[in-house]
Amino acid sequence: MDIRKENRILKWVLIIISFVFLAVFLILPLIYIIVTAFRDGLSGYIKGITDEYALKATGLTIKATIIAVLVNTIFGLAAAWCITKYSFKGKKILSTFIDLPVTVSPIIAGLIYVLTFGRQGALYKYLDPLGIKIIFAVPGIVLATVFVTFPFISRELIPILTAQGTDEEEAAALMGAGTFTIFRKVTLPHVKWALLYGVVLCTARAMGEFGAVSVLSGHLRGKTNTLPLYIELLYQGYDFTGAFAASSILVIMAIIVLVLRLILEHKGKKELDVSRR
Amino acid sequence: MSENSTVKEAYVELKKVNKHFKDFHATDNVDISIPKGRLVALLGPSGSGKTTILRMIAGLEHPDSGEIWIDGKKVNDIPGSERGIGFVFQSYALFRYMTVYDNIAFGLRIKKVPEKEIKEKVTELLKLISCEGLEKRYPSQLSGGQRQRVAFARALAPNPNILLLDEPFAAIDAKVRLELRTWLREMITKLKITSIFVTHDQDEAIEVADEIIVTNQGRVEQAGTPRELYSHPKTPFVAQFIGNSLPVKNYDDFRFFEKYEDEVTAIIRPEFVNVYKKGEKVQFLSSAEEATVEDIIFRGSSFEIKVRLHGNLISAYRSIIEPAVEVGEKVDVFIYRMFLIKNEEISIISNQSLKQESVVI
Amino acid sequence: MKRKSIIPGFGISFGITISILSIVVLIPLCSLVVFTSKLSFSEFLYTVTRPRVMSGYYVSISTALVASLINAVMGMILAWILVRYDFPGKRFIDGIIELPFALPTAVAGISLTHMTTTNGWVGKFFYDLFGIRIAYTRLGITVALIFIGIPFVVRSVQPVLEKIDIQYEEAAYIMGADSGTTFRKVIFPELLPALISGFTLAFARCIGEYGSVVFIAGNTPYETEIAPLLIMSELQEFDYSAATSIALVMLAIAFVILSVNALLQASVSRRVNGLA
Repeated sequence: MDIRKENRILKWVLIIISFVFLAVFLILPLIYIIVTAFRDGLSGYIKGITDEYALKATGLTIKATIIAVLVNTIFGLAAAWCITKYSFKGKKILSTFIDLPVTVSPIIAGLIYVLTFGRQGALYKYLDPLGIKIIFAVPGIVLATVFVTFPFISRELIPILTAQGTDEEEAAALMGAGTFTIFRKVTLPHVKWALLYGVVLCTARAMGEFGAVSVLSGHLRGKTNTLPLYIELLYQGYDFTGAFAASSILVIMAIIVLVLRLILEHKGKKELDVSRR
Repeated sequence: MSENSTVKEAYVELKKVNKHFKDFHATDNVDISIPKGRLVALLGPSGSGKTTILRMIAGLEHPDSGEIWIDGKKVNDIPGSERGIGFVFQSYALFRYMTVYDNIAFGLRIKKVPEKEIKEKVTELLKLISCEGLEKRYPSQLSGGQRQRVAFARALAPNPNILLLDEPFAAIDAKVRLELRTWLREMITKLKITSIFVTHDQDEAIEVADEIIVTNQGRVEQAGTPRELYSHPKTPFVAQFIGNSLPVKNYDDFRFFEKYEDEVTAIIRPEFVNVYKKGEKVQFLSSAEEATVEDIIFRGSSFEIKVRLHGNLISAYRSIIEPAVEVGEKVDVFIYRMFLIKNEEISIISNQSLKQESVVI
Repeated sequence: MKRKSIIPGFGISFGITISILSIVVLIPLCSLVVFTSKLSFSEFLYTVTRPRVMSGYYVSISTALVASLINAVMGMILAWILVRYDFPGKRFIDGIIELPFALPTAVAGISLTHMTTTNGWVGKFFYDLFGIRIAYTRLGITVALIFIGIPFVVRSVQPVLEKIDIQYEEAAYIMGADSGTTFRKVIFPELLPALISGFTLAFARCIGEYGSVVFIAGNTPYETEIAPLLIMSELQEFDYSAATSIALVMLAIAFVILSVNALLQASVSRRVNGLA
């Protein structure tokens, strides 16, 4: 007998509570965005999303996202490899620093970049003569985006590489294989789905970052406005149709992310099982 | 050191090697010397430093001090990949995302051996390990025994001079383990490759190895052939670790064993003891003592009989073809010899009624 | 540093890690420290104890606490039904739970706000029926924070619940425990560390949340002005000292919350595993 088979009433009460909760807090807002976006009909929607500034904002969002994902992928692979394959002093501190950005409020993240690269920052007098502007410019937006998604990829890789251990790499090294051979042939196959999963999470968060980017952007319409900032601008200007139309782009991306996530998570779990064997 | 190693030239040698892991002294001034072509077991309880020794020979760990020599060359500063070593990991460390073929070919591909030669070599090895037809499988699709043999083939593929095996049988079912032991011994003897394997299982070491190095708490206790270790343990640890050893404090209560000194413990092994049914006509009956059977354990090929004698529960073996004894039965017990341990020294005392005769185990 | 491992590539991977970490995290963090050291203590104290700032902390912490508590309860229920029950739409629920991670906070913010104003679908309903306003009140902030915090507890409890060996429950069952007792005495203690860690992560995240809250809050001083918004306003007035002072207190609060969690986890793991 399966003792976990319990009370049917309790089961359905809990399920109904959950459905209602999620319907109100998650699904209703989604539907609301779509409905409001189409409030002025299809033409209003199309006008909203093809607005010149909307397109520019989308372009900047994509640019910042791609750079952030690239940097974090390189960082994530290097950090995960370094932390799981070698023993060295200060490993715990290193991990703490890597995880730090997600525990810091995005506004504070923006603030520390302003303090670093702003007019009163220590680096300003070196960077300014070189013509490098970071604050209230695109590099600042990119940096902020990298910061808020910093551990997203390494965090997915580390558990798998830890479970996998170092035996395979040692075996390959004993046979004389070099760094990149070991990495490509032995390590990477273990984490390819987890890596993709991390990339998807990183992309989702990078696209939508608001607080940190808001501090650093300077809100120059068509220059330093990302999609979320552009949405804020429209909303505060009472252009609700425009704001929700632009939002719907991000909603669609979020739904794609969720579907990819489900697929990749499934494959990633298998990967972890193989690595634990 | 056993005589052999001083006579024959050492092929693998550790000189005063020390290794710490934080506060843990994993290897304490270890001297080891292994002649060419030998099959050697590093035997000891877990945490005794045997795996560390193996990993240092392979270059997977580096000693804090001391020297490691292979084939007349000091290898401390030579990377493991250039020491001519094949290593079989405890977990096998087969590349889980490569086929059996790619696993075995890996080392050869690193050496840029032409694909045609690789194919010949891999085919030959697959035949050697009787795994023909499995080349397209992934490690997860193999049985434990097959994985172990593939790991063995992968280690052998680049023609190493030394084969190192870390607990090669630990992850295998009991029945397959026995087959693999014999297989490995035959295989290594055939290939004449100097091999060192780590084990915590004395039966495994005794059965497979030409020579055993017993380690304990980071030190080498004794090195020698299985027979030497068995019949002439040089340290208390070896006496107790090898065989089924029972420590006995009041050894002088036993008939024909005299007290030597205080603070001495004796060790009795089942092989030193014979149990006779009352009325059995045997030698030494006159010098036997009476005891009561407390337990009988069927060991498959024999019975282990536990008898109470002077407060100690002493084990002895009795063949299954001999007349059976029962729990509670009074029997005659004769003890041939004991090991005496005093401080760090060990000596053998024989039953005094045997004085004139020589005993061979 | 110890002698290098046999696996090559430590230098390059460590180098890349440290370089990127320095640019993105370490150098900015240092400049925060440097800037902090230049603040005068009396000015710092004056800034952070201004009634408006104190009220900002209070609003942030109280709404975050309420939202996280609700999410702790709902997170347990959600994790439970996802692991233990089969029902139609289970995979959908499992997927949608992650929506707050995937949906940009600003989008969630405007949607929740617009929906809960007295003209919005939900807001109108509550206002007409009960006279309750949601948007531009602390209740609204709490709603936004509930949205943000949903995945945390579910995702930390779910894997632990999946791994609980049925033998524990069988053992309790054989000894005559009913399912309520089994849950309280056997299952709940196993889940508690994960529940606490999910709760504290959600709590810390909610205190610092900006994007989803800033729209729905209405930002009335002393009423619905959250601490991150105060930092933002100081920044817009280029008063970096005040912004940094407020931020330091928030960092300290986050640090305390995460340390308490770390200590609790360590004490649980000591009790379960017998060693630190």
